[in-house]
Amino acid sequence: MTDNKNIYRPIKAKLIEVIEESPLIKTFVLVPENGFKFDTGQFIELSVDSIGEAPFTPSSSPLITEQLEVTVMKTGYVTEYMHNLKPGVFMGIRGPFGRGYPVERFFGKEVLILGGGCGLAPIRSLLYALEAVKDKLEKVILCYGSKTPADCIYKPLFDRLNKTPKFEAYRSVDKADSEWNESVGVATVLLDKVKVNLKNSIAVVCGPPIMMKFGTLKLLEMGYKDSEIYLSMEKNMSCGLGKCGHCMMGEFFVCKDGPVFTYDEIKHNPDIWK
Amino acid sequence: MQYKSIKKDDWDKALEQLILSHTIIAGTGDGSGHDYELLKSSGIERIVYNKPKPATPLKSFFLPVRENVTSPAGTEKPRIIIGVPNCDIEALSILDDIYLDKDFTDTLYRERRENTLLISTDCFGTQEHCHCLSYDIKPYSERNADLAIISLDSKIIFRVLSQKGEEFISKIEGIGTLSDDSVLKAIEQEHRLTESKLNESNRDLPGYKQTGELVSGSKKEIWEKYSSHCVSCGACTTICPTCTCFLLIDKPGFEKVKQMDACQYPGFERVAGGEDALFELPHRFRNRYMCKYVWKPQKFKSLACTGCGRCIEACIGKISKNELFRELAG
Repeated sequence: MTDNKNIYRPIKAKLIEVIEESPLIKTFVLVPENGFKFDTGQFIELSVDSIGEAPFTPSSSPLITEQLEVTVMKTGYVTEYMHNLKPGVFMGIRGPFGRGYPVERFFGKEVLILGGGCGLAPIRSLLYALEAVKDKLEKVILCYGSKTPADCIYKPLFDRLNKTPKFEAYRSVDKADSEWNESVGVATVLLDKVKVNLKNSIAVVCGPPIMMKFGTLKLLEMGYKDSEIYLSMEKNMSCGLGKCGHCMMGEFFVCKDGPVFTYDEIKHNPDIWK
Repeated sequence: MQYKSIKKDDWDKALEQLILSHTIIAGTGDGSGHDYELLKSSGIERIVYNKPKPATPLKSFFLPVRENVTSPAGTEKPRIIIGVPNCDIEALSILDDIYLDKDFTDTLYRERRENTLLISTDCFGTQEHCHCLSYDIKPYSERNADLAIISLDSKIIFRVLSQKGEEFISKIEGIGTLSDDSVLKAIEQEHRLTESKLNESNRDLPGYKQTGELVSGSKKEIWEKYSSHCVSCGACTTICPTCTCFLLIDKPGFEKVKQMDACQYPGFERVAGGEDALFELPHRFRNRYMCKYVWKPQKFKSLACTGCGRCIEACIGKISKNELFRELAG
């Protein structure tokens, strides 16, 4: 947890397992010193000693405090180093930071989740949190898109969810192979296939910027209200403390005021999709 | 408002003693200009009073350009900063909003704030780009500092602004209560004169609230025009008393070095996936104005521009934000 005496100092966490999810995505299983609590949707700054740190939303259940899972796509300088790490090393964690998903506000409702690519990482944590309170929810529908079947992460998750009462999970790929027998097309095509009760439904969107934009536009077209669409915004969250300025999105520090916002809160800013 | 006075010679002697137990920073210089400098006995005569702003802002004494924030250097001597104009004093308010934020207090910043006695100085006169009054900031401090200092004839006058200031000043040998009304009248006259100069030179400059409305409602052409001379050097943000964006650099042992950064540098908002919301120069240039005149005022009560005018002086592209605002207000 963030050290109040020194907000910049990370705690150490031992890397105990590395799981290959796809050619570009790995999940790191970490055991933080003295445990770690977070709310689903909050993020951490994960560091490789002397190399750098980057923001990630844990993909594990917020109900588990003794260990933590972080799913990382190899996409830049720090994540490339992360992908070369072997179990046994220590990583640094600062956080948890920001405002996560307001799960209590979903009680009594249907939750439609639209995810793309590595955006499924925060969503998996949310799904664990929602599974724990499924008696209080109407229904949970997951629509997930990835580029190819090989890029599709957490494969066992979909089978498990489809066997869980009140949960439905659908997948789509931009480009199918001969073995793929599910939907083809960008993630939003799945929204045409699911049945939602608009009067009692909220939507969650998490994925690459282009999907966030068109996913939100599609949900609005379907009839979701601005205040019923929850977006997990991706910016260059660097300090996590609402100070360094790198993640400013209009008047908001995404790291502190977000990363989860309703569309209603941020729609006045024309630059949110940049 | 309580005033105290001391003979200039006695004040200089007091400074000689204070140097032994304190780190003293003072606005120091000669006729051609002045800046904050570490005070030595030999420099006491060169302290500049009653003059508008030192060349660089106050912020770096609380937020060093580069420092290890996980292994701080340790206890520092109590510090006195003398000769801070009100534009720099008011700029500290927004730094306090950010760094003393109750959720995440930057303890290094807090320790430096608590360890520092701030002695403001009244501005008698203006510099070319001074425009504090346009943003409702007076050219003399009545709050946020501990004392304000004025040099008048052979006397040093203090306006007492805080309990800490009062305790400090009461221990200075030779200090007395100011009972001469004519001195206060002379100070007031200087204030009015400075204010009238500021009003005159900034007659057509829009006020702070209006600047926000103008920036929000602006068309992209104005940003293209003014940013065409911008080389993204970051001088405007570096010299600004309220700009405090920074980078965290990782060092062995999970140590972090905090280094000042600037939204005007390319790549400031670039994320690992390659998206960069501020990639285009006119957009990046506009970002600084949106931050100062629209977003920060929405988020904090304090102003993010105190009208010091240093960004205009520092710009190698000779971009004047005041010209930009005049054109916007057109």
